[in-house]
Amino acid sequence: MGSITFKHVYKQYKGEASPSVNDFNLSVDDGEFLVLVGPSGCGKSTTLRMLAGLEDITQGEIYIDDKFINYTSPKNRDIAMVFQNYALYPNLSVYENMALGLKLRKTAKHDIELRVTRAARILEMAHLLEKKPNQLSGGQKQRVALGRAIVREPKVFLMDEPLSNLDAKLRAQTRAELIKLHSTIRTTTVYVTHDQVEAMTMGTRIVVMKDGIIQQVASPHELYNAPVNLFVAGFIGSPQMNLVKGSITRQDGVNYFVNKRLKLPIPIEHAVYLKNNDFRQRQVVLGIRPEQMTVVTGENRGNEQWTVNAVVELMELMGADTFVYVSLGDNQLIVRMEAHTEVRVGDNVQVQFNMNKSHFFDQNTGGSLRVQGDAGA
Amino acid sequence: MAWRSLRKTSLFDVLLIIGLTALALFMLLPIIFIFNHAFKPLNELFLFPPTFFVQHPTTHSFEQLFLKSGGDVVPFTRYLFNSILVTSVTLLLVIVFSSMAAYVIAKKSFPFKSLTMALILVSLMFAPETVQIPRYLIISGIGMSNTYFGHILPYLASPVAVFLLIGFISQIPNELIEAIKLDGASEAGIFRRLILPLSAPAIATISIFTFQGVWSDIETSSLYMQDETMRTLAFYVNSLLSGLHNSVAGQNIAAAAGLLIFMPNLIVFLLFQKKVLATMVHSGVK
Repeated sequence: MGSITFKHVYKQYKGEASPSVNDFNLSVDDGEFLVLVGPSGCGKSTTLRMLAGLEDITQGEIYIDDKFINYTSPKNRDIAMVFQNYALYPNLSVYENMALGLKLRKTAKHDIELRVTRAARILEMAHLLEKKPNQLSGGQKQRVALGRAIVREPKVFLMDEPLSNLDAKLRAQTRAELIKLHSTIRTTTVYVTHDQVEAMTMGTRIVVMKDGIIQQVASPHELYNAPVNLFVAGFIGSPQMNLVKGSITRQDGVNYFVNKRLKLPIPIEHAVYLKNNDFRQRQVVLGIRPEQMTVVTGENRGNEQWTVNAVVELMELMGADTFVYVSLGDNQLIVRMEAHTEVRVGDNVQVQFNMNKSHFFDQNTGGSLRVQGDAGA
Repeated sequence: MAWRSLRKTSLFDVLLIIGLTALALFMLLPIIFIFNHAFKPLNELFLFPPTFFVQHPTTHSFEQLFLKSGGDVVPFTRYLFNSILVTSVTLLLVIVFSSMAAYVIAKKSFPFKSLTMALILVSLMFAPETVQIPRYLIISGIGMSNTYFGHILPYLASPVAVFLLIGFISQIPNELIEAIKLDGASEAGIFRRLILPLSAPAIATISIFTFQGVWSDIETSSLYMQDETMRTLAFYVNSLLSGLHNSVAGQNIAAAAGLLIFMPNLIVFLLFQKKVLATMVHSGVK
């Protein structure tokens, strides 16, 4: 068991104008893999450290399993934490590193041995137990840090950017192992990262934060397909969502997205919520993901109304895909295409928007014009 | 392999190595001399021209040393006991107090922290002579003359040790302290299991200079101890040597006493030397 509840949690550092964590409300279910993601300085690590008991809570309440823990010392919160720089005790062997937490809790010696060997087997590092941390590679250190958390069998795992010191290949590999590990031991995990790919691949739920404020809490799928504001739309997804400023007008019973260069008809299902939000008063931002755009070639004409002229400025071959950067007046948009496209830099091309998958945001508030909970489309 | 790397060394390197080796050997001479001198029979001590190496080693000088003091009111072993007791207790307490103080200053925040640091820094600047009189007044004022406290207390607050340890402990990553906190360690546990072992190299350095300072100190014995039974070996040897002036008879005793007072310094240095080198490597890398 290990559910977590945050109630109106604030963190205000002395001498800073605005709180680092601002009215943080969240419940985490037992067994969940929750990811806190956001740019640096968004308060995600501070939130984690308050949960760990390493930072004081300025205001608000935190509960683990309905137990009020604001004033509980870190060691009595029944949590284990994995740090970015591993934080292995350099003077102790791998075995002792993993055993220390249990030893300090007066666990019986044979029990310690049992748990450490079991964790070492799960993490495939039984052969490393006698080594000292400085004899290990980065990936091995990371395993030991994980092992040290696992042997404690805590209610909650806290992970503070545990993969960011690893190289790209090892990071992807360890990411997969962490997911597998979580599906085996099913301990509630709170994971902090600034990397949206990690967040999307690992989290059962993701909390996007900015300036200490929660922007959106949702599953990876919902976050990607129904971002609640411009920040989330831009932060989640790589390459990022194309954003074009404009307005919406109504003509002959059809809604159009219009700016200096564009006039795109909006499908009828979008029209409902646009109408509910009284779009006519507002300047809007059209958001469309690179994979929902195509460069129109000979036969494949698609919906001609959604097609506009553009110039190819840059192409990035990523292997399986090519990112085509096209310019449309003041806007530069990214189109995700297959690798073997015949488009060349400098070509005048026709670019098509899949308006069925478009998003609309209020230009002033940044909020999505979609009605909350309407995750379809 | 060895040849290849030798060939690669430039002429400058070779000259440097030769020069430095010569200098090191030259610095070693007094140590070799003191060893040889202590074992020379009386006639060799006064050979002209003087010899460097002993030809007929004898322990006669040491016998003389012990015999001479045997006739005195206070036996040689009493001085030795005093020295060992005072030095070991001081060393232990200096390590404990300095590392505790340094841990708190390096890793905790508390009111007047920078003032505390500044005071420690200022106390580094005083020449020991300037505090002799106030120290005497304090020691005699609280009645610590002729007690072991009079030997130990003046050395306990060691600003150099605290300063060295602050630098060392502040390099220990905070995450390590947080990790062991989450693992369930108390403040005492953090100190004992993490801070102390990780500052071992710095503690070794402190041990060497504290040991040397206390072991060869004659100030506490001559200023605060009027009772001869409370004085230390260093004081005894010193008074022995100054009592000899240039008299011929005592030269062998002086030679033996000189070696005796020097030996522990050498042993302590050799014991901790490896760790001290680690300190230097550590401070270089980080």
